[in-house]
Parts: sequence; structure tokens; C-alpha cells
Amino acid sequence: MRREREESYIDYSMIFIILFLLAFGLIMLYSTSSYEANLDYGDSAYYFKHQLIPSILGLVGMVVLSYIPYRIYARLAMPIYIAAAALLVAIIPFGKTINGAKRWIIIAGVSIQPAEVAKVAAIIFTATMIIKLKKNLTTLKGFGIALMFPAVLAGMVYIITRNLSSAIIIMGITVVMLFISTPGYRMYIIVAAGVLAFAAALVVIIANSNQTSGMNYRFERVLAWLDPQAHASGKGFQTLQALYAIGSGGIFGKGLGESMQKMGFIPEAQNDMIFSIICEELGLFGAIAVMLMFLLLIWRLMVVANNAPDMFGALLVIGVMGHIAIQVILNIAVVTNTIPNTGITLPFISYGGSAVIIQLAEIGIALNVARNIGRD
Amino acid sequence: MKRRRTGNAQKFTIGMKKKLVVLFVLVLLAFVGLGVRLIFITKNNGEEYERQVLSQQQYDSTTLPFRRGEILDANGTVLAYSEKVYNVILDAKLLLRDQKFVDPTVNALVKEFKLNSGEIRSYLSEHPTSQYYILAKKLSYDEIKNFQDMITPGMDGYDADIQGVWFEPSYIRKYPNGSLACDVIGFTSSDNNGMYGLEEYYNNTLSGTTGREYGYLDEDSNLERTTIPATDGDSIVTTIDGSLQNIVEKHLKEFNDQYANNFRQGNGANNVGCIMMDIHTGDILAMASYPSFDLNNPRDPANLIGMPAVDEKGNKLKGESVFDSGVYITEEMLSEFSDEQLYQNYNALWKNFCISDTYEPGSVAKPFTVATGIESGSITGNEVYNCKGFLNVGGWDIKCHNTYGDGEVSVARGVEISCNVAMMYIAQATGISTFTKFQKDFGFGLKTNVDLAGEARTEGLTYTAANMTPTDLATNSFGQGFNVDMIEMITSFSSLINGGYYYEPHIVKRIVSSSGATIKNIEPRVLRQTISQSTSDKIVEYCNQVVAGAEGTGKTARPAGYMIGGKTGTAQTLPRGNRQYVVSFMGYAPASDPDIAIYVVVDRCNVQYQDDAKFATRIVRAVLTEALPYLNYPMTEELSEKEQAELAELREQMVTTATAEGEETTEEGEGEATEEETRTEEETTESEETGSIWESFDVDSTTGYYIDPNTGNLIDPESGHAFGGDDLPDFGDESIFEPVTEGNGN
Repeated sequence: MRREREESYIDYSMIFIILFLLAFGLIMLYSTSSYEANLDYGDSAYYFKHQLIPSILGLVGMVVLSYIPYRIYARLAMPIYIAAAALLVAIIPFGKTINGAKRWIIIAGVSIQPAEVAKVAAIIFTATMIIKLKKNLTTLKGFGIALMFPAVLAGMVYIITRNLSSAIIIMGITVVMLFISTPGYRMYIIVAAGVLAFAAALVVIIANSNQTSGMNYRFERVLAWLDPQAHASGKGFQTLQALYAIGSGGIFGKGLGESMQKMGFIPEAQNDMIFSIICEELGLFGAIAVMLMFLLLIWRLMVVANNAPDMFGALLVIGVMGHIAIQVILNIAVVTNTIPNTGITLPFISYGGSAVIIQLAEIGIALNVARNIGRD
Repeated sequence: MKRRRTGNAQKFTIGMKKKLVVLFVLVLLAFVGLGVRLIFITKNNGEEYERQVLSQQQYDSTTLPFRRGEILDANGTVLAYSEKVYNVILDAKLLLRDQKFVDPTVNALVKEFKLNSGEIRSYLSEHPTSQYYILAKKLSYDEIKNFQDMITPGMDGYDADIQGVWFEPSYIRKYPNGSLACDVIGFTSSDNNGMYGLEEYYNNTLSGTTGREYGYLDEDSNLERTTIPATDGDSIVTTIDGSLQNIVEKHLKEFNDQYANNFRQGNGANNVGCIMMDIHTGDILAMASYPSFDLNNPRDPANLIGMPAVDEKGNKLKGESVFDSGVYITEEMLSEFSDEQLYQNYNALWKNFCISDTYEPGSVAKPFTVATGIESGSITGNEVYNCKGFLNVGGWDIKCHNTYGDGEVSVARGVEISCNVAMMYIAQATGISTFTKFQKDFGFGLKTNVDLAGEARTEGLTYTAANMTPTDLATNSFGQGFNVDMIEMITSFSSLINGGYYYEPHIVKRIVSSSGATIKNIEPRVLRQTISQSTSDKIVEYCNQVVAGAEGTGKTARPAGYMIGGKTGTAQTLPRGNRQYVVSFMGYAPASDPDIAIYVVVDRCNVQYQDDAKFATRIVRAVLTEALPYLNYPMTEELSEKEQAELAELREQMVTTATAEGEETTEEGEGEATEEETRTEEETTESEETGSIWESFDVDSTTGYYIDPNTGNLIDPESGHAFGGDDLPDFGDESIFEPVTEGNGN
């Protein structure tokens, strides 16, 4: 492969958006968590500090990755996939339990969430598979193979860490990438309609089932979603409090740092529910501004994908774009009680070190693809 | 991208680009949808959710209870006070934050409050998110003190692992003297609202304002916390003298003990009431009635036993025979009572007989008739009437007590021997319009506005000039045919003997703030002048003769060592001829210069022959024998040996169960001097003379009364009054009065 040196393209608007979201995220994180952090740890900046370091590390990683030629991932796809699977398996003996969930492993003093790694692995591996399968992808068998590997990863995530939302995101990313790679809409529309119908049927069954009939906690989440008031003391509490926060924010909010709901009413507000605090403090205006920033980011990723020098690069960027789009949409949908509560974080803003590092790494890959725009 | 690449470098095709745009559009639509949802949440539920948020902020807001004011007697003795008590509240959510809190907390609760460990644990496991569960109620400070230390940092025994328990303060009402002045004081419901008596009448004064501890938003929407302390209620100082009240209640109880289950099963009388009043101020010094109840436990059914049962309107149930005074509550009846019936009868127990029950006063109204005659100039006081034992008015022969006639009766003697005929003459001389005008001036038919809850409304229970017939005038002159209540009578009577000043009766003299500062002094208030000083002097002169005079009907009311004045009353009840009587004595002391008035009413005494005012006069005597020395009045009369012995005994035990017996012996010693010949002598021997017609009759062996050979009625050897005789015409459908003597109040 011969390579010509040409001037490289740097997507400054995307970098600006990322920096903005990170900085904004840190500010909101501090605002949201300082009260609880002070109560629990005696240090109002506890969560802020624990997010700042991964953010800086992530930025460094992003810059580094933006220089690593993305084509290298095609060859590393299988090792990365195996490494991600190995990390997941390692949770079983070495996992650390935080907040009642066994989702973390500690390597050299740094806690890592293997599910986040699995998301990147799924993006890289699926992109590689699609390239490898070429025309075979259109066959049922080829499509099945392309779907199978990420499905195995997603299954591991769900079985080992009981983290349904991460598993859903992995499958979502895969489906988005396959959707782009294969021609035709009919099959996707049929499947999407089928999934929706199945979900609707499930909801109807759950809603009419008896409270006592052996429901696991996810079913109760569905009931809480349908009627949060009725489950105000249980599963509906967090959702209801988030709705209160959104509703009480009004158009311009109560002002930065003035949230009342963060004072112990929204549990773990710095995680899944940080968007509700944004709504409360900055109002509709701030919330829609944040959504516009994410939309801009997704738009930039789409532009990069469309101009990618080859299909592999395009698929990588599409994977990243799908990842971010799915998380943002699902997170806001949960906060607004549009779908049942699943526990999906808001990229770049919610608290979570592994997540922010992985997300910045993905952006680094996308930036490298962008760098190669115009090169052949 | 003109050159085709080798290897895996596939191109991103136009079709794929299109699909990517489609995907982006889908994402865009999702964002738009979510944005719209955000807007709807804010627009539709914004206000509601904002209120929710604010109300949650006040989750910590607590109400701080106020302390209800005290009720004190005139000497500062506490009659009612509120004690701070604590409910033990469990906050399961707080406790279950950490499992290590559970064991120390539950153990401490079990140890300090003797709670059941299993119950607490099962509650915790069943309601892990509960934040308010009352573990124990109304504990005193001493009982919670140890635990309070355990949860207060810095105190001995502080244990940081004891969590999720706090104390909610409240107040309970306590009455240290139990049943003392129960009818006057009243009690409170569980929510600290006054019921009956002073507690109800002065509820607003005694109640303070609940305080609050709460969060609020300042102008920058910052959450601020603040406390508005509770304002404690004001205390009231009553005119009641606890010692006098005690004396009165003791003798009412003694009376009851003496006559209970005597002629019938039941209390000594349907009701016995006594009021003592300072005639120069309208201060009520003592007010009591029997049966009483313990204010700390007003719902004790044992107090109901012996009372006449009442129906849902509070009217007494009628007995089988017209001669039955009522249906008396027994334990068997009590067990069959429904809750409603129980409450009807509790209401009858709790109401204050002295202000709530109306009845025909009887002869105690005679001083008013005389005062009306003299004050209006209709008589001079020097008139002499001829009593033949009856007077024909409007076609009715209205009899006197002494149906054989008292002969020549002056105004003074009319009061002394309680001659109905003389009174009828005086009333006739006065005339209907003047008589009714004076009745209004005396306050009959008007509320006295005494500061107690439940005063009877007597409007319409008296005649007006328009509807009074000569017959009504005649019966009114000796206290039949119109209804009054006790407070009306004694208030008005006070004006007859104090020079004519009608004071508004009152029982609270001062309102004091919780810090002890006087907020309001309630001064005596003269409402009007009923009669002149000279008339008043004459009434006192006549009434003195009732006790001091040889023929006086109230001699038995005179306490040892003192001279008093007053008037007896024996009133028939409706329907006429039911052999049921309300007897009373209304008097004052000292006789020479009256200061205090006393009024005792015995409603249907538990004896076969109820129409004997001595049931009332003996109570008056017993009360005053103790009360006058207590009030530091010097003795003016010589003491007989028996009286000295009686007083010595009294001083010795201060609880005189022997008063009534002493009474009997004293009576014998004094003798029932009714003959004209013995009028000048104070002390005589048992009268055996045959100066009166009835004294030639046979003597009933069981009662000692004479038997009228014509009618078979028993005749009182003292007054010649025929028991069971139907003195008054029964006006039947003419009557404008309610046929019961009770049931006007609540």
C-alpha cells in the first residue's frame, strides 16, 4: 500500500464540540454532585476530581489515537475482541462490586468497566467483519455471522454483569452499522416493527399481570414507567423525581447550582439522571442547547463518515456515531420517562471514568478517520 | 476517489451514504421528539411539579405544638394544666441506611421503652421505606430522657449507631384535682379542643398558636430554614376558691351518700347543685353539682350509675308511673347501652346543672315578689293579709302550704312562713304589667351571660304582660309557672340583698399570659339597678326572719355560730300531682351585712316525700358551717353545747361524715317551734302543744307526720303543709312551659 503525504484534515468543529461537552459536563457534574459528595465523603469536589482525571487521560488518549492510522484496527480486530471478552470473563473471579452491581475490575489500581471496552470492541470487530464478508453480507448466513459475534459479546455483558443497557447498546451499534452496510429497508422496517410489537405486547402483559406473580425487578420498572406516581416509593421514585426536576426548571431554569432536587431527592443524580438536573438548573433552554450540541456532534460524525476514504473508516465512524446517538437518545428518553428506566448514562457528561475514556477514544478514532479525508 | 484501491479498501457507496443520511434523519427525529416531550413536561406539569419540588423541600417541616393555658383557682391553685409528652417515632428509612444501626437501635428501644423487638424488626422488614411510625405514645420526659441522651451527641451514653428514632412532642391535659369543679372546668378532647365549662368557653384564650419549622425560598430562590416558635396559650385565673369548692362538693357527696338507694335505686337526687357567689362583685366562689366525674377520665361509665337515663334529646326517660322520678341507670342497663345511648347519658353527666337545667323555682321567688311590690310602690310593706289556706283566683282555688290557713299574715310574716296567699295578694296589688317588667329586670327569661359554656336559654320560659292571666300572676308570685336556672336565680338574688346592683356573674377574673403577665383583668360589671337600697334593706330584714324567726321555714339552714338569711323553696313539677318536687334554699351570710350568697337546689330527692326544703337547708347549713370560718367571718351567735361538740368534731377530722347526724340532733334540740306561743323563744323543747288544727290528728308511726283524716295526706308538723296534696291547679293545655325541668342545655 503506497501512501502519499498530503495535508491532513482536522475536524476542529468536532474537537470544539467535544471540549465544550466535556467542560460543560464537568461543571454540571460538580453542581449536581457537590451536595451529596459533601455529605458522603466530606469533599464536595469528590466526584468532580474523580471525573477530571479520566477526562484528561481520555483527552490525551483521544489525541494519541487520532494519530494512529485507523486501518490498523482491521488487523487487530480479533485480538481486541478476544481481549474484551477476556476482560468480561475476568469479572467473574476478580470483579469488584460497587452499589450492589459487579461490573468493575481493578487493574493496577484503576477500575475499569469491561462493558465499555466491549462497546469499542464491537464497533471495530463489526466494521472488520462487514469488510471481510463483502457481498456475503447480503446473505442470511453472512448477516448472521456479522450479527453473531457482537451478540456473543452483548450476551456476555448481560450474563456476567447483569447490565442490560450496555448489552442493548452493543447490539444497537451493531444493527446500525449493518443497516448502513446492507441495501434495502424492508427487512429493517419489518424487524423494527416486530420488535416494537413484541415490546408493546410485553408491556401489555406486564401491565395486566398481578403484582405478586413472580415479577423480577425489571418488570416493576415497566410498571413504574407506566405509572410513576403509583410506584413513587419504589422503582418510580427516581423517574418521578427527575420529572419533578424537569418540570420545575421552567424555560430558563433555576440557575446554575440552584437545583433542589439534587439535595438527596434524585438518587445518584450525577449518573443517569444528570440531564434532569441540567433541565432544572438551566431550564428547557439549557437542555435543548445540550441536545443541539449532541446533534451537531452526530452531524459532524456523519459528515466524516460520508467523506471517509474507505468503507472501513466510514463504518468505524458510523459505529461511534451510533454509540453516541443511542446513548443520548436512550438517556434522555429515560429521564423524560418516555421509556422504562434502564440506567444508560449521558456521554461525556454523566459520571463514569471508564465511559468517558472509551468515548473519547472512539472520538480519537473518528478524528483519525477524518484526518484521512481526501487521502487515498 | 478516482483511483480504485486494492485489497479491502472498499468504497463507501452512494447507497450507504443515503442510508446514513436516513439514519441521521431518524436520530434528528428522535431528538425532536424528545425535545417536544421536554417542552410538554415543562408546559403541562411545570407548575404542579414545581409545587411538588417545593413541598418536598418542606418534608422536614414540622409543626411545633403549643401548650394550652392553665386554669387556676382564685388562690393560684392549679385546676388544669398541660404536660409535655413525647411520641417515639421510628424512621425506618433512616435506620436502614446501614445494617449496623439496626441492632443497637432496636436493643436500645427494647431496653428503654419495653417494646417488642420482634415487632420492630418485622415492621422494619415490611416497611423499609417508612419514615413515620409511632412506636410509643405520650411518654413523659423522664421516660425518654435516657434515650434522648443516647441520640444526642456529647451526652453520656451517646451511641452514634442509634439512628432513625426521634421524639415528637405534644401535650396532654391533666387535672390534678380529679373531679374537683368538673362541671365548671370541663375537659378537652384528644385534639386539645375544650369541651364543656371553661375549657370550651375560653378555648380560644387557652389555645395558643401552633409553631412551625420549615424551609422557604428567599428572593434568590435559595432554600432557607426557619423556625416560628409555638405561642403558648394564656392561662385563666378563676374566681373559684378551691377550698370552698372542696367543701361544697364534699357535702353534696355526703348528701348523695345519705340518700342514695333510699326510696328507689339511684342517686340521692336527680341533681343536686350549689352555687356560692360574692354578692358585691358577681364572682362565683364555688359551683358544683352531683353527680360529678373525674376530669382525667370523663368517660367512666361507673359515674352514670344511679343517674336518671335520658333520651337522644337529653330529656329524662319517663318512668312507668307518673310518680316515678325517672328511670335510673343500673349496671345491667349500662351493659345494654348502645354507643349513642352511652353518649347521651355522658352528655347529661358532663353538663353543668347549675347553668344548664331549668326548673320552676318555687318559694325562693317570694322575695322577688315582695321586692317588686315595694319597689313599684304597690305595697308599703305594712300590709296584713288574711290567709284562709287558699285564694280563689280566676276560678281556681289556689292553696297555701298550710291548707288550714295562717290567719293574719303581714308581708314580713308572709316571707317568713312562706305564705302563698299573701304573695298572691301582693302580686295582685302589683299588677301584671309591673310584675312582668320587674321579672325582666331581675333577669328571668334572660341569659346571665356567665362565662361558661352551656348556659340554658330561658327566653320564653317566662310570661309576658301580653300572655299572663291573673291565675298565672298568682302562681308566679310564689315561684310556680315559670322556669329559671340556678345562675339566674342567685345572680338576681344577689342584687336583692346588695342594694339593688345586678352584677354580671363571672367565673374568670384574670387572663394571664404564659410568661405570667396579666393580659386582662375582668372587673365586676354592674348591668343595672333592680331595686333601691331601701327596698333591698327590707328584703334582707324579711329574709333574716326566715332563718331567725320563730316560724321561719329556713331555721335548719343556720350554721353553728352564725346568723344568716335566705328563703326556702319547695316547687312542684309538671305534670302536677306527680309527687315530685324541686326543693331549694337561697341564702346569704352574714345576716347583718350580707357578703356571700349561697343557693342549693335538690332536684327530686330520693325519698318518698320529696317536698321538704330541709333537704336543701341541711346542705346549706353543712356547707356554711365549714365555709364561714374558712372565710374568716367572726361568729356572732352563741353556740349550744351540741354545736360546740359538732364544731370540735369538725375541726378534728375536717371531713365530717357526722354532720347530717349532728343535724338531726340539733333539730330536736331546737325543736320545731311553729306555735304562735313560742314565737318569742329561740330555744324551746319539743312542741307538744295543740295550737294548730293538724296537731289533733293521728300521727303516722313511720314518719312522725300527722294524718289528715279527710284526705289521708300526711301533714308536716312544722308548717301544716299536706304532703302529696295537689296544691296547684294543673293548667294542662294552658301551660306554655316545657314539661321537663332538664334538657335545655347540653
